Amino acid sequence: MSLSVHGLTKRFGGVVALDDATVEFVPGVINGLIGPNGSGKTTLFNIATGLIAADAGGVTFDGRRITGMPPYRIARAGIGRTFQVVRAFDRMTVLENVLVAERRTGLRELVRSAIRGSEVDRAMGWLHRVGLDHLADADAADISYGQKKLLELAAILMTDPALVMLDEPAGGVNPVMIERIGDLVVAAKRNGRTVLIVEHNMEMVMSLCDHVVVFDRGRAIASGTPDAIQSDERVLQAYLGV
Amino acid sequence: MPSATDDSAMDTVTPPVGGPVGSPGGVAAKRRRQAWNYVAVLALVSALAAGPILVTNSYYRYAGVLMVMYMVMATSWNLVGGFTGYVSLGHAAFFGFGAYCTGIIASDSRSSVILALLATVGICLAVAAVIGVVALRVRGSSFVIVTIALVYMGSLLAQGLRSLTGGSRGLDVAGLYTFSTRAARHGAYIVTFAVLLGVVMFLWNFIDGTKFGMGLKAVREDEDRAQSLGVNTTAFKVVAFALSATFVGLAGGLYATWTGFIDPIFVFSVQISAQLVLMTLLGGMRSLWGPVLGAAIIVPSGEFFLVNLPEYHLVSMGVMLGTVVMLMPNGIIPTLRRLWDRRNPPAASIRELAGSVGALDTDDADVERRAGAPRAVRA
Repeated sequence: MSLSVHGLTKRFGGVVALDDATVEFVPGVINGLIGPNGSGKTTLFNIATGLIAADAGGVTFDGRRITGMPPYRIARAGIGRTFQVVRAFDRMTVLENVLVAERRTGLRELVRSAIRGSEVDRAMGWLHRVGLDHLADADAADISYGQKKLLELAAILMTDPALVMLDEPAGGVNPVMIERIGDLVVAAKRNGRTVLIVEHNMEMVMSLCDHVVVFDRGRAIASGTPDAIQSDERVLQAYLGV
Repeated sequence: MPSATDDSAMDTVTPPVGGPVGSPGGVAAKRRRQAWNYVAVLALVSALAAGPILVTNSYYRYAGVLMVMYMVMATSWNLVGGFTGYVSLGHAAFFGFGAYCTGIIASDSRSSVILALLATVGICLAVAAVIGVVALRVRGSSFVIVTIALVYMGSLLAQGLRSLTGGSRGLDVAGLYTFSTRAARHGAYIVTFAVLLGVVMFLWNFIDGTKFGMGLKAVREDEDRAQSLGVNTTAFKVVAFALSATFVGLAGGLYATWTGFIDPIFVFSVQISAQLVLMTLLGGMRSLWGPVLGAAIIVPSGEFFLVNLPEYHLVSMGVMLGTVVMLMPNGIIPTLRRLWDRRNPPAASIRELAGSVGALDTDDADVERRAGAPRAVRA
C-alpha cells in the first residue's frame, strides 16, 4: 500500500508539469502534498490513477508498477481518489452514486453483488457514515457542493481502498463540513488506509497530516513532519512566500 | 493492506433503513416501484397480446405488429442509449443483419425457421460484441458517426453478396406461422412481439436495479470517474451494446418471417435507427416506459398521417414531433413525473434536511471515532 513515484515527468506542450519527480509516501499515515498552484500535484494524482499517461518515469503501488494500467484496474488495486472540482453522477440518486463503486473483489463476488441486495446495505452504511443517508433517494444534482464532496468520499470508501487520495477536500466547503471530512480522513487512517491529501488549507494540512511533501515546479523540494516543514527555509521561500 | 475485517467496524454500521434518519421516500420506495414495473409490464404485454381479440381488421392488425415491433426495438435501443447515454444510429444494421441471418438460414419448413431465429440470436450476440469492442472505443458524436457507417456497410454487403442474399432484388423468407389468412398471421405476430417486448422490458427493469446498471448509468454521467471507481466501463458498455443489438437483430429476424421478404434498402436504413432514437427521446430516455410510449405515439400517428394526409404525412409528423419536443424537451414521462413531484412534494425537502448535516454525529461509530481525533479546523 505504499505509493512511490520515480523520475515522473509530464509536459503539457511547453509547460513542464512534472519534472523528474521522485517521492516516497509513507504507508499507513496521512500524507499531505502541498505546493503552489501549478507545481504538479494534480498531475501527479492524474498519472497515479491512470487518467493521463506519463512522458517518463513510473508509479508503483504496493510494489507493483501501476503506470500504464487502465484506471479501473488501478482502482481495483486499491486506490480511491476524489477530484479537485467535485464530480457526482448528477442524474443518479445519492445511493446509486455509491453503488457504482466496485470493490476489490473477484469474479464470483462480482456476480453475487450483481443483484443489489447486500451492496445496498453496505452503501447505506457508508452514506450513514458520511452523514448523507437521509438524502439517499435525492438526485445527486440536488445536493449541495459540500454534500457532493462527502458523497465522493462515500463512493471511494465503498471500493474499500488501501490508499485514499483526496484532491483539495476542503476546497469550497464550509468549516463544519471541513471538520467532518477531517474526521472521516482520520477514521480512514485508523482503519488501516493510507491517505494522501492535496490541500491549500494549511490549517487542515498541519493539524491532520503526519507527513508532508512539498512540491515546487514539478518536483518534491522537501518532506517531513508538519513542524519541520513549517520551519523549512526552502518551503517558506517557495510556498509560503515569506 | 487493510483487509475486509479491519473495516468491519465501519462496514457493519447498522444500515439506517427505516430508522429515524431514513430518507423520506426511502430506499424501499424505489425498489417497490421496480417491483411494480414487472407487474405493469405483464399487464401491458397481456393487453397487447389480447389486442387481436378486439381488432379483427387486417390493416389495423398490421399497424399493431409494426407498433409492438418498434416498442421492442426502441426498448432494446434504450438498453444502450438510456443507460450509457451512447446514442447509436447503427441499430438498423442489426435489424437488417438479423433479418438476413434468419432469411438465409431458414428453409421452407417451420422448424427450420425457428432454428434460424435461434441461430440469429447467437450470431447477433457474437457479431455485436465484436462490433461493440471496436465502435465503443469512441465517445460522443464520433460514436454516432461510426454507428451510421455500420448501417451503410450492412447495406452494401447485403447488395454485394448476391449468391447469399439475392443482392438488390431482395430475399424471400419462409413464415413462422402457417395461418391461412393475413389477419390471423398479423394477430400471431402481435402476440409474438408482445412476448418479446415483455422479455426486453423485464431485462431493462432488472438491469436498472443492479450494480451492472449503476455502472452503465455512471458511464453516462461521467465515464472517467466511473473508471476511477473500479468500473470496467469498456466491458460494461460492450455487454449492454451486445444485448441491445441482439434483441433488435431478433426483431429483424421475426420481421423477415412476418413480411416473407427482405428488401436490403429498407432493412438497412438509417431512418429505422432514427425512428428508435426519436421514439425514445419523445417518451423519455432514462425511463422504462419512455420508448414504449414513444413507439405507441409515433407508429400509429405515422400510419394515420400516411392514410389521411398521404402527401403531407412526413410534414405532419414533423410538426407534431417538433411541438412535443419544444414543450417537453426531456420527453413525456420525465415531464409528467416532474409535474407529479411538484404536486406531491416529499415529506421533507432537501434544503431542510441539508441543514442538519454535521449535527448527525450521534451514533456509536461517530462517538468512537471522535476520541483522539485531532480537530481539523478550530471554528
